[in-house]
Amino acid sequence: MTTGHQAIGPSGHQAGRQTMSFFAASRRVFDLSLGEMLWSRRTIFMALVVGGPVLLALIVKGIEMYGMSALRVNGQRVAGFGIFGVMIWMLFLRFIVPVLGVFYGTALMADEVEDKTVTYLFTRPIPRGAVLIGKYLAYLTCTMLVVLPSVMIVYFLLVPFSQLPSTFGNLLIDLGLLALGLAVYGGVFAFVGAFFKRPLVIGLVFAFGWEQVTLALPGYLKQFTVAYYLQALVPHAMPPDGVTSILQGMFRDNPPVAVCLAWLFAYLGVFLWLASRAVERKEYILEQ
Amino acid sequence: MSNKKTRYFVSISAAILAVGLGTGFVASYMGLPVSVFSSSAAPEELQYVPADAAVVAYANIREVVNSDFRQRFKDIGPSDKDNNEFEEKTGLNLEQDVDSVVAAVMPKDGMANNPAGSFLVLARARYQASRLEALALEHGAQVSDYNGKRLITHKDEDGTGEEMAFGFVDADLVAFGSLSSVKASIDARASNRNVVSNNEMMKLVNEIDNANAWAVGKFDAIADKAGLPQQLTQALPAITWFSAAGHVNGGISGSFKAEAKDEATAKNLRDVMAGFLAMAKMQAASQPSMQQLAESLVISGEGKTVALAFSMPGEVLDVIEGLAKGRKGL
Repeated sequence: MTTGHQAIGPSGHQAGRQTMSFFAASRRVFDLSLGEMLWSRRTIFMALVVGGPVLLALIVKGIEMYGMSALRVNGQRVAGFGIFGVMIWMLFLRFIVPVLGVFYGTALMADEVEDKTVTYLFTRPIPRGAVLIGKYLAYLTCTMLVVLPSVMIVYFLLVPFSQLPSTFGNLLIDLGLLALGLAVYGGVFAFVGAFFKRPLVIGLVFAFGWEQVTLALPGYLKQFTVAYYLQALVPHAMPPDGVTSILQGMFRDNPPVAVCLAWLFAYLGVFLWLASRAVERKEYILEQ
Repeated sequence: MSNKKTRYFVSISAAILAVGLGTGFVASYMGLPVSVFSSSAAPEELQYVPADAAVVAYANIREVVNSDFRQRFKDIGPSDKDNNEFEEKTGLNLEQDVDSVVAAVMPKDGMANNPAGSFLVLARARYQASRLEALALEHGAQVSDYNGKRLITHKDEDGTGEEMAFGFVDADLVAFGSLSSVKASIDARASNRNVVSNNEMMKLVNEIDNANAWAVGKFDAIADKAGLPQQLTQALPAITWFSAAGHVNGGISGSFKAEAKDEATAKNLRDVMAGFLAMAKMQAASQPSMQQLAESLVISGEGKTVALAFSMPGEVLDVIEGLAKGRKGL
């Protein structure tokens, strides 16, 4: 403590008190964290990010109500479900899901360290890994409760009711895909947050640097991204919205669904385990 | 989740998801009337078109009749005497009472020999049902009920052709075609298994923008059953889907879009069309009004699609009107 730092070691909790089971502890942390996450300042950012597509859908709806077409490609009108597909690609999959994963995932442990409240959690008679898993589950619930209803509202605003029977299956795939995306990105960035010192920078570089660049390059490097497997499962055509998209479209190959799902679940499992292990073993230094 | 605010938030989010999923499931697996929440450009009559329709066409007769275009060419159409005679017999004024017409083709084996058996026409208008029924009975038709709808059927005197029918499927909507087509139309609405649930067809219909007449269809399905001569079938480009849309008002504008079986075919088709277009522009160079029409022709498309858009301005219509009136001696 003479250096102005307080170290919280791997055996932070008080000896002699009975430790809760991993599941019960995770649930307790989840209950505590969900409310904190929902009503934090970060939620304002999330509301803006997720409210954007809803606002855009309202504008498109308004334009279409006046008999005009909101989006045309090569002179051909892009109809409601087409616009919905473009929004799923460009707003949700390429931006909202990674950005929420980065901001929330990296903050799961980093916030507690920064606020110096990690001490209170680690001195409880609960396994340290349960803290991370409980917080991760709270993140997943919190983001899914915001993102998925937003997608649902956008869908019902954009897609005419007559197209429901033909497009509803794709909506279910989209919802599942976004939930899986949030889970996997959350897992990856939970590890980044638990292990690295500047997790936000690393997370942003990974999501908007590494992933975007490798997807636009030929070769096997893209297999070391989450987006490669996630984008292969999207039921909508990739919109050509600039040079990056054109390059990504050129070098895009679609691995089979089973392979994509296997890799995504493997990423999720491995990174959550690594994150949990990092929290269990790491000695957190709290700056005074 | 001890916090009250959190509980409310979770409940509202879950409710939005549950309502959305519930509505989607009900609409997908049980079917709901399109008119309940629909903002689709597709007409309601499509609910009476069987799901196996290969071609669907629609015309908003009211808009076309009221258009400046129609007013220009009014003198060239059927004479008032012919119209009055028809109105006296049926009680239907074609200009004033008919709102819209939907036509569909359901390809069947033997369609080449009996094309009438594959067609269905749905006309929305203000009918005098009793007067039409009496007129049909006078001409030897039979009246029956099918699933609560009044059907009037008629067979050729020699009894060889397929039985034709028209049925009042709605108060202001009549289905006309072969008896099997009209029955299929009534069933399509009752079971909600109609062309609206045909994803590929509805995708094309919903892409149509600002048109008061259009047609979409599966070209290969028609070509297979239409019994076209082999030479013609071989000469036709390998087109799978097509859509044509037009807007009639002061002038006429429209577009034709087709999807070829592969990219090479589509490219060939675009090249051929570009060649014809160049020739048309050369021919029209000496006539300024026709030049405008030629200039308005735009070929586009990428991948497997080919599209052609045109716009016929008022000046071109002046020329056509002059030619038509000259021929009629008006």
